[in-house]
Amino acid sequence: MRARRALGALGGAAMLAVSACSGQPGTADDTPVATAPARITVQVRADPEEAAVYRSLVSAYEKASGGQVELVAVGRQDHLTRLSTAFASGDAPDVFLINYREYAPFVQRGAVAPVGPLLDKQGLDRGGYYEEPLKAFSYGGALQCMPQNISSLVVYWNRALFRQAGVTPPKANWTWAEFAAAAKALTTGKTKGVGIDPSITRMAPFIWSSGGAIVDSDEKPTRTTLHEAGARAALQGVVDLIGTGSTPTKAQLAAQDLAEQFMTGKVAMFLSSRVEVPALREQRGLDFDVAGLPIVDKPASVLHSDAYCVSSGSDHKDDAAKFIAYAVGQQGQTITALGGRTVPSLKSVATSPAFLSPTRAPASSQVFLDAIPHLRHTPVTPSWPEVEDVIGNQLQRAFEDGVPLDQVLGEIQKQADPLLRGR
Amino acid sequence: MVALSALFLAPLVVMLLGSLQRPLQPPPDGLDLWPNPVEWSNYSAVARFMPLTRLLLNSLLLVVVAVPVTVVVTSMAGLAIVTARGPVRRLLIGLSVLMLLVPAAALWVPRVVLLRGLGVADTPLTVALLALAGTTPFYVLLFALAYSRIPGSLLEAATLEGLSPYAVWRQIAIPLARPAVVAVAALAGLFYWSTFMDPLTLVSSPANWPVALGLRSLSEMEAALYPIYLAAAVIVTAPALIAFCIGQRSFFSTVERA
Repeated sequence: MRARRALGALGGAAMLAVSACSGQPGTADDTPVATAPARITVQVRADPEEAAVYRSLVSAYEKASGGQVELVAVGRQDHLTRLSTAFASGDAPDVFLINYREYAPFVQRGAVAPVGPLLDKQGLDRGGYYEEPLKAFSYGGALQCMPQNISSLVVYWNRALFRQAGVTPPKANWTWAEFAAAAKALTTGKTKGVGIDPSITRMAPFIWSSGGAIVDSDEKPTRTTLHEAGARAALQGVVDLIGTGSTPTKAQLAAQDLAEQFMTGKVAMFLSSRVEVPALREQRGLDFDVAGLPIVDKPASVLHSDAYCVSSGSDHKDDAAKFIAYAVGQQGQTITALGGRTVPSLKSVATSPAFLSPTRAPASSQVFLDAIPHLRHTPVTPSWPEVEDVIGNQLQRAFEDGVPLDQVLGEIQKQADPLLRGR
Repeated sequence: MVALSALFLAPLVVMLLGSLQRPLQPPPDGLDLWPNPVEWSNYSAVARFMPLTRLLLNSLLLVVVAVPVTVVVTSMAGLAIVTARGPVRRLLIGLSVLMLLVPAAALWVPRVVLLRGLGVADTPLTVALLALAGTTPFYVLLFALAYSRIPGSLLEAATLEGLSPYAVWRQIAIPLARPAVVAVAALAGLFYWSTFMDPLTLVSSPANWPVALGLRSLSEMEAALYPIYLAAAVIVTAPALIAFCIGQRSFFSTVERA
């Protein structure tokens, strides 16, 4: 992960240099040309099955609009590398899909054409979309990219293992204490109660729920605040839970990732976003559902969202916007929702059977929508990807190697704060 | 020797057996080797996830073009180093070693800018253009090392006889450095068959990608579909293995003769 980010940063730095020389970001063609739609390139981060969903989306768009799209589906590990290199060399795709935690460096370097005015020209009414991802993709007061999904962190739980252990299924608004007790009760010789990745996106909801904060200011963060009382208490809660032996050991985590351990009944619960659903659906005999996150003091969850951005150097911005308007519209979002991996950002599709149908697991997909009023997002700032890496590496030391929490929090301050201050 | 060979064959055997497992099963506990039942259909399923024939042809084209070019360029450059005098020779060797130290990632952006400027950034043969620069200075040094065993007087005598530099290379140097030719051809062949980072950054259209990059994207398949990924891995590895089996006889006989 660190290597990928480092490569992304390297490409990003080169991108800055080249875009400064070429002066491309200023040369937007704002006048629409009344000719047949141009062929545009769309780069998405997708594994092979996900790529199939985007191919369906593209062919539906081509049929509906007569436009032409070259879809470049790149694996998760290579998306940022290819994107950064492409921008640096002036060969950027017209449209690209990116997570809100990763788009700020691209905006800061002038690589993104704000999508708001472009979509207005296409007549897209943004009133029908959930607010939180629109906010997360606004930077410098303008909507930079158009969100396609609004996922959040939930608890995946194995119904069969709950039944076997005689543990009551998770209720809406269950507490951290109930969650920890369930994890303990589910832990047997073969099974661990719960698995939690040591990352800030997993920890953030609990920190917010206990009244803490990750950084001093969501808008203009200058330092991390994980060592302060609220945040520290939440992290201590996780360390205590790990101390009860209800979570997989370091060796177990090295052998199989949490999703695979969940598939094989080695963990009874794990925390993740909507992204796990297609893989879990394919496991014959796995009886699973999702539940809301446990609450420490007040409900909270963390936004997971990707959006379509238009490259500032694109010669076909209007055609790019036309594709985006289709992809985030009723038909486009229905196609991606049926793929199972996304929670639609368009309210009318999110509340339709395409997403909520109880006939396909998880039966309680409504949980993702119930979390929306309590969603918050991590800071949108150019150095955030590096800050996330620092926090993740340090939390891993505390969660898996038993390094004292205060030592780890001190290290986070020492390494992450200078990054936030731009040094 | 046999035990050592078995050790190196083990990953291939695991890959082959894994490719015959039934997909959509829970991930096994430990190493579940023996497929039961044997699932040959995984091989036909690969084409559903990537345009296999197209990508294999792209890779084949890449290797067929890039390997001979690499051998010619690096063998000539190696000869230039060996025939250069004192300080120039040291400078050229130093330069080659210095170039070896440049991290690959630092070259991605300049390469894309250059190739895009030349209008050749999106063909199946784009990556083969690296061969014009010898692919890697390591091959140049390998040739320089091989040529350094040829007596200097022989090369000088050939020049005094009026042979052009090309004729010296073609008639004297190459025949005497046959093991190096075979070694560089084998290494370059393997490099162009398996490279995925260069095409990822250099080649725009997925239709022009080589098969190694297609395999790379399959590696992110869900665990339940891993047998299909391993089937793809067998298909991609097979041509390289067959080439090795055919080539090893001539490689060892050349080395032994040398």
